[in-house]
Amino acid sequence: MELAFDRKMHDDDRLAFVRRYAAWVKGVPNEEWSRQQGALIDSFIGNARNMPLSCREYLERVADRKQSIR
Amino acid sequence: MDVRCSDKRIVVSGKYITLLDRFVQDFVRILGQETPYVIVSGFVAILFGRSRGTEDVDVLIPRLTPEDFAHLHRALVKGGFAFLNEEDADGLSEMLERNRPIRIARAGQIIPNIEMKFIKDDVDRLVLKDHLELELPGGDLCISPIDIQIAYNLFLGGRKDIEDALYLWEIFRDDLDTAAMTRALDLFGVRGDEYGIGV
Repeated sequence: MELAFDRKMHDDDRLAFVRRYAAWVKGVPNEEWSRQQGALIDSFIGNARNMPLSCREYLERVADRKQSIR
Repeated sequence: MDVRCSDKRIVVSGKYITLLDRFVQDFVRILGQETPYVIVSGFVAILFGRSRGTEDVDVLIPRLTPEDFAHLHRALVKGGFAFLNEEDADGLSEMLERNRPIRIARAGQIIPNIEMKFIKDDVDRLVLKDHLELELPGGDLCISPIDIQIAYNLFLGGRKDIEDALYLWEIFRDDLDTAAMTRALDLFGVRGDEYGIGV
């Protein structure tokens, strides 16, 4: 369970990281930030492709997720 | 980051093209021949370096007649894409008409996929009309205006949405027009002061 106090601190930490990360991206050539980001995204996509789901199961999962966000 | 912004065009040269970028570029190469479109939401922040993945990319298109949609359907299938929904072209067109999204992936795959919708209100129309052309190695993309994307993410208000908004703001704060940013925030009735956005 995440307490309200912990959540606020966690959110602040994450936002501080986003600012630091954006500052780093702005300071390096496109080749550098995009190669590091590409390793993360390509790995994510590669793993996701191995997910043993049918189209129907996937669409149901997406619908459930959207329902839980509302 | 070397980003060149001029009027309605942004150029990002030398960017490594990810599997996700390539998927989207291949998709819009076909889509763009059939209809105007605009890419919105999380993928816009990812295009400019946000360090997160996504399994789907949101795309808005104008309302198409069933005949025009059938033409687009045929072109996408011929181009190696498949619709994840079970409906045929008529059924998919009806779903879009009822403002329900449809999902499209490369044939035989599920992730990544495109979540495509018809524009449904004045904000969608504005985003489509005022879209930016993003020039990347391997192909151009039409994306939502950055100021509107930031304001929309703040409006959505989820953790990930706010982080995307903040990231885009930090990347583009020197290139954004202050008055346009304020108009975008007003359009969605949101404020970014808490995060230092737009101030």
